[in-house]
Amino acid sequence: MKPENPFVALLSLLVGLLFLSPVLYSIWMSFQTADDFYAGRVTFTLDNYERAIGQFNFARYLINSLIVSGLVTVLGITVATLAAFAFARFRFPGGDLMFGATVATLMIPSHISLIPNYLTLAKAGLLDTYAGLILPAISNGFACFFLRQYMRGIPKALDEAAYMDGATHLQVLWRIIVPLSRPAISSMALYIFIAEWNNYIWPLVAVGKQDLYTLQIGLARLYRINPGEGLIDWPLVMAASTITILPVLLGFLAVERHLVRGITMGAVK
Amino acid sequence: MSGISLRNIRKAYPGGPTVLHDVSMEFQPGEFIVIVGPSGCGKSTLLRLIAGLERADAGEIKIAGKRANDLPPQDRDIAMIFQNYALYPHMSVRENIAFGLELRGMPKAERNRRAEEVARMLQLEPYLERKPGALSGGQRQRVAMGRAMARNTSTFLMDEPLSNLDNALRVAMRTEIKDLHRQLGATIVYVTHDQTEALSLADRVAVMKDGHLLQFDRPDVIYDRPANRFVAGFLGVPPINFLPTEKLPGCAGLAGSDDLTAGLRPDILAVHTAQPAGPSLAARVVMAEMTGSDLLLHCDTAAGRLTALAPRLALGGGTEQVWISYDLDRALFFDNQSGARVDYVPGDRQIR
Repeated sequence: MKPENPFVALLSLLVGLLFLSPVLYSIWMSFQTADDFYAGRVTFTLDNYERAIGQFNFARYLINSLIVSGLVTVLGITVATLAAFAFARFRFPGGDLMFGATVATLMIPSHISLIPNYLTLAKAGLLDTYAGLILPAISNGFACFFLRQYMRGIPKALDEAAYMDGATHLQVLWRIIVPLSRPAISSMALYIFIAEWNNYIWPLVAVGKQDLYTLQIGLARLYRINPGEGLIDWPLVMAASTITILPVLLGFLAVERHLVRGITMGAVK
Repeated sequence: MSGISLRNIRKAYPGGPTVLHDVSMEFQPGEFIVIVGPSGCGKSTLLRLIAGLERADAGEIKIAGKRANDLPPQDRDIAMIFQNYALYPHMSVRENIAFGLELRGMPKAERNRRAEEVARMLQLEPYLERKPGALSGGQRQRVAMGRAMARNTSTFLMDEPLSNLDNALRVAMRTEIKDLHRQLGATIVYVTHDQTEALSLADRVAVMKDGHLLQFDRPDVIYDRPANRFVAGFLGVPPINFLPTEKLPGCAGLAGSDDLTAGLRPDILAVHTAQPAGPSLAARVVMAEMTGSDLLLHCDTAAGRLTALAPRLALGGGTEQVWISYDLDRALFFDNQSGARVDYVPGDRQIR
């Protein structure tokens, strides 16, 4: 949509730049050396990226974050979709109670479950493993609730037509409900991915081995590399931050169209 | 081909009223059955029970001689056409038609060939790659029919399939459905609230009200010898006139005519501009509707409000006072208490 008024266009551009300025500033900073940055000189170097990836193991953290966030997204969406389908389409004993309990989990702050989750995983011997990072994040009450509401909006006659055509419950879900819920599923997938990508507390608690650090933990460690000198190497931190936000940005661009449709769904018939 | 047998079917929704009360019917293989009744009479529920989309609380459903109460829809070998068509919006016309075949494991080339064959029969070939959203109402209706036909089943269930179409298209599709029945020879159970569809399509019509089956017979029998006052009033356009017998000239002397209502269909009434010989009612025309060659006259008489058909050219414009005569031998009589039809024996001038 193009604004017709040039003044509105200019104003939009300025507001957009205002919102983008911290990101642009940090990207600009990531190409400076620390000495030049503190001396107020402008230079250009890729040294910070080389150090972040080579010296501080950010390539490894990036892979860990991709594995953890990717699997949490895929498994989380799968579980939420199956549960949402059951809640949206079937009446079974205790169904309402279970859905109520699922919605109630939205009101529990995530930090409250930190210690019980830690103790459970410790008992299961899953601390310091990928499974320990992934499993607690798979069940997602909000995704389940959101998808259930969306699926309820899909006419039940479509399921019935598919059953008459010979489909099983899973075929109805996979061939009819999932394709028609794509906007909602895409938005939820992106939401889960971003939430997991930015997750700091749980990886900090569940993982001690440096090989399993995710980007957020690695990023936090960069603040502590020069404690004695009292100076933080901001250009290095900003290079690591840029590496951290890049995959999310690309992911967002990939599903942006669906995301907007997902958010505005139901607004227009 | 498979027949369907329904024995003492009962159904109630949790916390709601009973929607079907001991309904029993037998559909012969290859028959065209129309279930008709007002909204909420249980006709669609009955269809859904046959389809397997709902479960009966009591009674037995047999399809092709086998008990089907516990069979899931996919195992009943029945195709269904829904009122709103229920086409899969994300699939093309070809995929919609071939979906059932794909689920049954038919190879792609074969199901494509079958989809094209069905599309040719229904004149849908130019639209095979379109999505349902890009089709008109009539085309969507055809796709819904094509989807059902592609599977070569012996039983079709149709839930008010023409109710979303405009009148001209409805008449055209009615003929096509009748043709289709002749070609396929399948058993068709068709639900509608449109009595014209019921009378014109059916081999046998089932009339339902409030979850009860009132009458199940050939259309001509239902029209000529309705089981009760409701059936008589529900079927027939223009509708039948009900008048108290005591106020109807010619009925006063009938033996056993106490507490009866006479039913006079407009086609047994004759409209005169002068008083005819024999029993007649003087009538004042309240409103005259042009229906083409005829005028539909709404008249006030001493016996009550009456609707009659008169040839337009025989009746001068602006006629206000007419006489209406009737053929008592073809009149219907209903008991005022039970609503059931009672028979009039013209020779004896007696009601039995």
